[in-house]
Amino acid sequence: MLTFQEIVLELQNFWSKEGCAIVHPYDLEKGAGTFNPATFFGALTAAPARYAYIEPSRRPADGRYGDNPNRLGKYYQFQVIMKPVPAGITDTYQKSLKAIGLDPKKHDLRWIEDDWESPTLGASGVGWEVWLDGMEITQFTYFQQMGSMPLSPVSVELTYGLERIAMYLQKKDNVYDLDYGGGLTYGDIHKPQEREFSRYNFETADVALLSRHFNEWEKEGERLAGLGDPLPAYDCVVRASHLFNTLEARGAISVTERAQYIGRIRGLARKVMELYIESRTPKAEAVK
Amino acid sequence: MFAALIPELLKSLQFPKFMTWEETNFKFGRPLRAITALLGDKVIPVTLGGIKSGREVHGHPVLAKKPVALKDISKHAGILRQGLVLADPVERREYLLKALAQAAKPAHGISDPDEELIDETTFMVEHPVPVLGKLRDEHMVLPHALLKLVMKKQLKFFPVVSTEGVLRPNFIGVRDGLSSGNELVREGYQRVLEARFNDAAFFVGRDSSSTLESKLGQLERVTYQKALGSMSAKAARVAEIAQFIGAKLRQTSPVDETALARAAKLAYADLVTDVVKEFPELQGHMGGVYARKDGESEKVSLAVEQFYYPIAAKTPVPTTAEGCVLSLAGKLDSLAGCFAAGLIPSGSADPFALRRQALGAIRILLEKQLPIDLEEAMKHALSIQPVKSPEPAKLEAQLSDFVWGRAQSFFEDMKYAVDEVRSIKHGALKDLPNAFRRLAALKAVRRDPAFEPLAAAFKRASNILKQNKGDGSSPERALLKEPAELELYDALVSAEGAANDRIVQGDFEGGLKSLVGVKPHLDKFFDGVMVMVEDESLKRQRLALLSKLVRAFRRVADLSEIQASAS
Repeated sequence: MLTFQEIVLELQNFWSKEGCAIVHPYDLEKGAGTFNPATFFGALTAAPARYAYIEPSRRPADGRYGDNPNRLGKYYQFQVIMKPVPAGITDTYQKSLKAIGLDPKKHDLRWIEDDWESPTLGASGVGWEVWLDGMEITQFTYFQQMGSMPLSPVSVELTYGLERIAMYLQKKDNVYDLDYGGGLTYGDIHKPQEREFSRYNFETADVALLSRHFNEWEKEGERLAGLGDPLPAYDCVVRASHLFNTLEARGAISVTERAQYIGRIRGLARKVMELYIESRTPKAEAVK
Repeated sequence: MFAALIPELLKSLQFPKFMTWEETNFKFGRPLRAITALLGDKVIPVTLGGIKSGREVHGHPVLAKKPVALKDISKHAGILRQGLVLADPVERREYLLKALAQAAKPAHGISDPDEELIDETTFMVEHPVPVLGKLRDEHMVLPHALLKLVMKKQLKFFPVVSTEGVLRPNFIGVRDGLSSGNELVREGYQRVLEARFNDAAFFVGRDSSSTLESKLGQLERVTYQKALGSMSAKAARVAEIAQFIGAKLRQTSPVDETALARAAKLAYADLVTDVVKEFPELQGHMGGVYARKDGESEKVSLAVEQFYYPIAAKTPVPTTAEGCVLSLAGKLDSLAGCFAAGLIPSGSADPFALRRQALGAIRILLEKQLPIDLEEAMKHALSIQPVKSPEPAKLEAQLSDFVWGRAQSFFEDMKYAVDEVRSIKHGALKDLPNAFRRLAALKAVRRDPAFEPLAAAFKRASNILKQNKGDGSSPERALLKEPAELELYDALVSAEGAANDRIVQGDFEGGLKSLVGVKPHLDKFFDGVMVMVEDESLKRQRLALLSKLVRAFRRVADLSEIQASAS
């Protein structure tokens, strides 16, 4: 039986052999692996992209003080992005399940239509949830848009829900009981975080400070985008997005404000994307 | 020819959403991975979406072995079946239904006959294999509606129910493919289901740690609509409208106004519970569950539970009078509020589901025979909205027209003719059950061969009145002189008397029949009497006689709306 960390290692090995660069998590708080620049920028231009990485995902509103056996305010995704899309991608995915001890032939493996959307990134895709015996273990998405712009060629993104897969493999009903590896349980490492961050996100976060930081990072992002460097400007998008998520969990954002916040992040993200595409596209006329 | 037709056909298929996935940017619903195209035994050459057609057939994506080369097209369905794909959706659905019935037997029940889930499952698997699983006793104490919803919505499992629809401690998951190794799959299904139930139990536990009443304060922080304020403000308006309607019903069909007020207070409290935040479909239902737990009376709990009834076109209206009034008040407030805020549905855009709410209100009044004056109630509901219209009368008329429009299509769906529905419009919203009885009477009497000619004569009478602005005064027999008009006068007086006797007993058909009896006298009148004579006073008397006739009929229906049937 694989430990949590062995599952991660097996997936890294598997996708490494499939030609992916294992780029590791990006060092900013984020709501989903899609925010990692490898995916965000990787999907944007025509250049080929093959990356895989584990990414901690923070969802402040999903925290449950460590009391709920299935919900976490921070968890791990294992993310794969490939462009162009290999024709046999679903077969390759099935092989990756086998590599971590899940033989699709012995289980009920189903692709359930589920299209994906990220309003803050102006991104959307068409795809499936992959269910293993009724449990959603992977989100399978063909990106269609980023920053509200159509993508060509499109990328495929696979997002494995690592905790769920581990719970299934280890037959555990409680995420905190997972064998993490190194003689520790998942709870040993994460329960204190869940407890304290739930308090922070729901009760003690300084709303005034977070709002001010949101405004400042938005402004800084605009300034950096104006200077023509998309990568540092993008960090501002990621920071603003997480600040927004925290403010929302803290109950500091009304329904109408919510739409405005999302619109502001999307606006900045779009600027960064346009800048990136412009700066990374070779200029044909410059050759002569 | 087919080589050109096949790409055209594939390109013409419509999907709710299209996608691209490869370099040619061909647009389709999902990625195209193979095209099997044969005419008899010859491959039709097609290239589309970066792939070339061939004779290979791919079976089940996990379980089938290698693709099989097809000799000729007649073998197609058979080869797919061997590859664990039932290609024909009709066959697949029947196969699924049989297998579900079989699987439910050992659990002494049937699989929940949810058509939507059956259809969804039919298109989610290629070769359905049901797997029966068990629920744990400790989960059976959770609200069954919640358990069923978790099973159906989150896991696409079929709850097993008794023939009366009561949940049994079993479920059926439908696996795609084979039945070998079902033990492992069953174990997996149960584990996933238990995790979801634990999650639900966690929410129920948290919700239950305080009473519904203690959650009311949180409604202040939930916005209903920007211009219309918080859910707390909405709750106060609903309570006010419920009280208004309750008071109006005191004479005819009294309700328990104390229970009504209590239920109105609690109606929206469940919106801030964890279960409803997670499963919005359970709004109302969870309110009822928690109200009972808090020790509220059954009358109050049931009214809260059924606050959103009817939920869909074919689902029931609230069972109790208090529930009906509360539900009605909620709907009228939504309608009045949205109209006042200018959120009037147009075309297909109806974000607050006002059409459904209006229809719900109509169904409650009709099915429960409640003599509630909707126009008056809507006027009151508009008067307490935080947004005021500069032209209140215009807004009232707009809202009335909207609700009448829903009533019209509701009646038309019941196969009443458009002209019949139009002819009962006058006063309909003041008493809908009555309006419906008038409509049924009209439809029944319409079969009488004398009816349509009468309607034509009636139309003539109302046109004359319209052109000459009949003032609605009553005729005096002594001032009439021609035999035909005296005859009509006498016939009308006696028909009116007979009709009135019937109508006060609710017999509109009998009433209308009595009135139809004036037809020969009306014909004679039009044959022998000029209405528009020089003698001003006589003219006025004759107009008054026609006006009396029109008024008599309008108690049932305005026959001038009736269109002659095509013969």
